[in-house]
Amino acid sequence: MPLIGTLALALALVLAGYSIIANVVGARASIPSLTASGRHALWAMCAMVTVAVGALWTSLLHSDFSLEYVASYTSFSLPTIYKITALWGGQQGSLLFWTWLLTIFTSIVAFQNRRRNPEMTPYALAVLAGIAIFFLGMLNFVTRPFELLAVVPADGQDLNPLLQNYWMAIHPPSLYTGYVSASVPFAFGAAALMVGRLDDSWIRSTRRWAIFSWFFLTLGNLFGARWAYEVLGWGGYWAWDPVENAAFMPWLVMTAYLHSVMIQERKDMLKVWNLVLIGMAFGLTLFGTFITRSGVISSVHSFTQSGLGPYFLTFLIAVVVLYTGLVLSRVKQLRTPAEFESYLSREAAFLFNNLVLVGIAFAVFWGTLFPVLSEAVRGVKITVGPPFFNKVNGPLALALIFLMGVGPLIAWRRSSFDSLAKTFAAPAIFGVTTGVCAFIAGLREWYVLTALSLGAFVLGTIVVEFRRGVSARRHMVGESVPVAIVNLIGKNNRRYGGYVIHIGVVLAFTGIVASAFFKTEVKKSVKQGDSFQVGPYELEYLGMNTTETAHVETARARVEVRRNGRPIAMMEPAKLFFKRLQQPATAVAIRSTPAADLYVVLAGIDDQSGLATFQVFLTPLVFWLWAGGVIMAMGTVIVMWPNVRERAVIAAAVRAPLPIEGDAQAVPGGD
Amino acid sequence: MPKRLRFAIGTGLIIAAIGYLIVAAVRNTAEYYLTVNEVKVRQGELAGQMLRVAGRVAPGSIGWDPITLTLSFGLAQPPPADQPGVKAVAASVGGGPIFHVICRGEPKPDMFAANRDVIVEGTLAADGTIEARQVLTSCPSKYVPKQPAPLNRE
Repeated sequence: MPLIGTLALALALVLAGYSIIANVVGARASIPSLTASGRHALWAMCAMVTVAVGALWTSLLHSDFSLEYVASYTSFSLPTIYKITALWGGQQGSLLFWTWLLTIFTSIVAFQNRRRNPEMTPYALAVLAGIAIFFLGMLNFVTRPFELLAVVPADGQDLNPLLQNYWMAIHPPSLYTGYVSASVPFAFGAAALMVGRLDDSWIRSTRRWAIFSWFFLTLGNLFGARWAYEVLGWGGYWAWDPVENAAFMPWLVMTAYLHSVMIQERKDMLKVWNLVLIGMAFGLTLFGTFITRSGVISSVHSFTQSGLGPYFLTFLIAVVVLYTGLVLSRVKQLRTPAEFESYLSREAAFLFNNLVLVGIAFAVFWGTLFPVLSEAVRGVKITVGPPFFNKVNGPLALALIFLMGVGPLIAWRRSSFDSLAKTFAAPAIFGVTTGVCAFIAGLREWYVLTALSLGAFVLGTIVVEFRRGVSARRHMVGESVPVAIVNLIGKNNRRYGGYVIHIGVVLAFTGIVASAFFKTEVKKSVKQGDSFQVGPYELEYLGMNTTETAHVETARARVEVRRNGRPIAMMEPAKLFFKRLQQPATAVAIRSTPAADLYVVLAGIDDQSGLATFQVFLTPLVFWLWAGGVIMAMGTVIVMWPNVRERAVIAAAVRAPLPIEGDAQAVPGGD
Repeated sequence: MPKRLRFAIGTGLIIAAIGYLIVAAVRNTAEYYLTVNEVKVRQGELAGQMLRVAGRVAPGSIGWDPITLTLSFGLAQPPPADQPGVKAVAASVGGGPIFHVICRGEPKPDMFAANRDVIVEGTLAADGTIEARQVLTSCPSKYVPKQPAPLNRE
């Protein structure tokens, strides 16, 4: 197996190299058979990487500890599912997995575009093959997944227990899928610059890839947060750790990109900006890998410090320099006569949304790099923690929510005060009323009041939009309300799917704000039979069960939860001890309701005194963070759903030798 | 081009506002991130300040009271060969300064043990005791715990 894997990776590298030459030479000299051969080489490359992945998976499943990787991240007693997920549990494996995704996506792109985009495609494929060469180079020469051990150990070292969790099984693949698919729009952007096809065909051809990437970045971030919430046992889900920030920044920039391309599609503006955004999004995916792998930034989640840092940094710098050069070489041709006419316009709202999103990304970047920068400039390491990120991003998030209500409804070009009043009166009244009600109910934090009002305002605008669409359909087609809603979404999936995503964002944001402001925490050491109060709940420690398997020892506490004297739940937080690694871990018990989560941690067991220490968090509305995430995902699926009309437009646009003029129907936007 | 200018001003104002937020937040929330030796050198000027100190739990120094949830231990400088925060387990603590750390009202972290690398967040008192708000053990995502000799090549 190791030999097969090593050979396959070497062949894949050669194929990637050949494909670049074939694609570029074939395109320059107009030899279709040569570009076709370059395309086929990419498919062969994908097949080779697939063989390598299969080889590593086989070794993992068979616990072949002659492989360093298998011995480092698995053991005999590790459950099979984690032997499978161990493929992305360690450095070499996760790079291989990344490369695998890249080659799969590249093959799909090559297939999708075998007759489309004849000028751009060979260059886009060459760019993707170039990225593949970097990763394959790493796998072949720097961090080899099929490295053999001189002495075969009797058993492996096992996977870190914190990673033995289903969220950790799906979090990295989601994030990697999001990261890697961002390279497709990037490759087409770069190709558009190379061949000078500077209309929006590169955007249209890769729109679904961009949304696909955003979808998985969203899921990846949420899964990571959920993992932190369930596994790390500190009652929170986000700590602004560099590793988290690394995943969050590409999401922010991708969000900005998805919004600003609408302005280019519709108004032919922001062309340079869009190319810069996609470059930034791609660069940040590399940067994220760089900071988590290089040890430049100390994170509580310290990854293996490895020699990968300099390679990633070099590649990142090369990409930034080359891409910036490409953009600069075309800047004159990218100028457009169109300009912003009024602050009260959709273009302006989208521009500001972009500035705020990129502003947040920059703040996160700055806060993450601050220790390194301060050490370089002042010679002393200064860190900024979660308070910094919350202070900066709190107000910016409010601005973003506000723009989310305004942007989709305000008129293009310029809006009169009359039409503004007409459009926004009802949602604004709804928002203010919500804030006032919350104030009367006893809320005094201005931030929470503002957040609630703005959230209600956004929901109000969405309701107005749906009502307008539904009543139009009822008048014109005579449909019933539910049918009209379904058809409305089906016929304008980009626009109404977008609204669904916005609803999810508002709910998630509400959950974040409520959990940040109103979390209560109780820490208590109690004897068996003792009870203590957490908010409206009374918790009684009934006793401890201990169990043992070959893999892990478990001490599970039984805690009865009562409200007003009536038992409502039995919760069983546990402490685990992983034998192979000699490492303890915590299993949290969570009772989640839409109103609040009760989160019980068995924080310690004192053998001498028989005391059990519990740490209990009562977090209101955090449920809505996850629910909002699910709605965002559903909305994204609606947006990605194939749309016949749009297909026709894309087909026309990408086949035409010259950019088509005029408006596309696939653009979301009111009239 | 008055329109372009007007938009440039608006954009500039937003960027300036974001910049201001960042600068103000840094001023209010920055903490020194130091090693034990660095704290020793600057002990005078650091007294009373919020700090993050990276060090290693000195063996034989741990006191834990489960009733009051009070953890106390000595924080020492790891020997120069190891990078702090990377390898969770190492054999020894170098000679040199040891700071006494007290953390009240927090559960003992799972991974907390002698010779572990930890990050202590708290205030340095005038007598050299660190009143910790939080003790973070290196809680690594994907680290390699302890590498036996044949694995250790990098």
